[in-house]
Amino acid sequence: MSTLIRISNLSATVGGKKVLQGLSLELKAGEVHAIMGPNGSGKSTLAYVLAGRPGYEITGGTVEFMGRDLFGMAPEERARAGMFLGFQYPVEIPGVNNVYLLKAAVNAKRKAEGKPEVDAYEFLQLVRGKMKLMQMDESFLSRGVNEGFSGGEKKRNEILQMLVLEPTLAVLDETDSGLDIDALKVVAKGVNSLRAADRGVLLITHYQRLLDHIVPDYVHVLARGRIAKSGGKELAHELEQRGYDWVLEVA
Amino acid sequence: MSSPALPTNRDENWRYANLRAVAKARIELAPDVTVNIATATPQKLAGFERRIFVDGHFVASDETPDARVRLLDARTAGESFVAMLDADLASAGVDFALARMNAAHGDNVLLVELPDDSPPLNLELVYFAAAPAASGTSYPRVQVIAGRNTRLRLVERHLSVDASDSLVNGAFDILLRQDAQLDHVRVQSCASTAAVFDTLMAHVGERATYRFRTITLGGLAARSTAFIKLAGRAARCEYTAASVANGLQSLDAFAEIDHAAPDTTTREVFRGIATERGKLAFNGKMIVRENAFDADSDQSLKTLLTGSGAEAAARPQLEIYTDRVKAKHGATTGKLDDQMLFYLLSRGIERPMAQALLQWAFIEDAVSKVEPAELRREVEKLVSEQLLEVSSLGLVGDGP
Repeated sequence: MSTLIRISNLSATVGGKKVLQGLSLELKAGEVHAIMGPNGSGKSTLAYVLAGRPGYEITGGTVEFMGRDLFGMAPEERARAGMFLGFQYPVEIPGVNNVYLLKAAVNAKRKAEGKPEVDAYEFLQLVRGKMKLMQMDESFLSRGVNEGFSGGEKKRNEILQMLVLEPTLAVLDETDSGLDIDALKVVAKGVNSLRAADRGVLLITHYQRLLDHIVPDYVHVLARGRIAKSGGKELAHELEQRGYDWVLEVA
Repeated sequence: MSSPALPTNRDENWRYANLRAVAKARIELAPDVTVNIATATPQKLAGFERRIFVDGHFVASDETPDARVRLLDARTAGESFVAMLDADLASAGVDFALARMNAAHGDNVLLVELPDDSPPLNLELVYFAAAPAASGTSYPRVQVIAGRNTRLRLVERHLSVDASDSLVNGAFDILLRQDAQLDHVRVQSCASTAAVFDTLMAHVGERATYRFRTITLGGLAARSTAFIKLAGRAARCEYTAASVANGLQSLDAFAEIDHAAPDTTTREVFRGIATERGKLAFNGKMIVRENAFDADSDQSLKTLLTGSGAEAAARPQLEIYTDRVKAKHGATTGKLDDQMLFYLLSRGIERPMAQALLQWAFIEDAVSKVEPAELRREVEKLVSEQLLEVSSLGLVGDGP
């Protein structure tokens, strides 16, 4: 199986504070990895650094994405090369409508791949199908991006975007936070529908409950800016019972 | 005729105004010549009566015009009746110098007078500027008297026939009696070589509502001056303004809204984008008088700079003389929101397009208030053409 992303000894600071300190991780096509860890362990920083958010300084290490140097790519290039960041707190963009954003994003990717623009009718059919899966009303299409959406609606909208963009690597930053159990199931269904032999998912979460619905191949515990422990899906259950302190002590 | 003393940048409400064009132009009325406006005339709005003017001269109306819309000789119409109604306005001196020039040199007044309880009227006024400033000035002038319980929709467009340096100096008097409602949309999309000035005075009676949406895109120099008095209990004003200044344009506006009665309400929104070396200014002054208990005013003034040579100033001013008042105001001048920008980039959208989308979203906040929808789509098209980056998006038209 081919490697989608190889993170080697990655260190990063934000506002002069060391957050990632020598993190290494390899994710191959077809795999779902969960990254768990206590608050402040660097989980969200990892997601943002991978997606290229400004304000983070890479102080060491390398990241290879689809065989390319990730840090040589602008955020939009990373996205067009197949990376998708599901935001923990998706921003509201009143005035830019949801369906316009979706279409612009799809066309940006197609353009980069040398393909013609998507057919408007087929596109709408595709989006409608995905919305049904995410149990979203069609009225969301014509609303501003995340404008006035509830927390759960925003998360579903993130997954909708992911399903439409069909990324090779989805990095989902606490997509489960703030969801009730029904919404969690819908989101999990969406993520599971994307699982395929040629794709990977990096699932960042604080709680084990998401992993009951999206079963990972590997679980990593992030502590003090690096992977403190790795294991199979059973590691998540162990963490649920014993808490993070146990790993921190071992580390 | 001698010209009245014009305000200068040293005058309180005129700091950012660029009136050089007035000083250079011939201030007499532009000659009444035949101009071909056929191709420049916008599609008539459905359900609206229309009157067309060129350089202030009346040229066309509907076949069976509504008798409540009359063209009067300026000499019989006299000075601003709103200024006479509100003595404190008339004393404001230099702020009305342009309006006085209009009264002195214009030759007609369009009077829109809706008797109490008369049926609603939808009226579209199209003003073309054609004459070069050296041959004379265009003086559009409108007086509106909306009687009790009446409803008027007034659309006012200002356009250029070509790229001449026309000077337009408009004056608008508006009187809304009890429970009258006025939806007033102004779209100023003159050539970027023109100079466009206007003075508006409104007197809003008890429970009456004045909604003013003004879109300023044209003119090398433009200045709008508005004095709106909420004179009757529970009078309401919604003032929404959007401007885009690019190239070397200098677009300035001053709006004073005077809460002179209890329970009066104002909602003021300004969104302006200055690109290239464009200059924008908006000065929103709110007065709440001693007797204006429970007045409620909300100002949101935002400008966006997208060029290194662009300038913008959004200035809220409050003068409050009572404790029983809700007054909220916010003013920002800034760049695009970094978080929004990153969100769009993270979806693979090219940076120039992401920036254009956010510019669009910014201005759309104000433009979305334009009614009817048919006119809003036209305005969206004009706005997108003015924003070079936005125009490439194809946001306007058949939709996504």
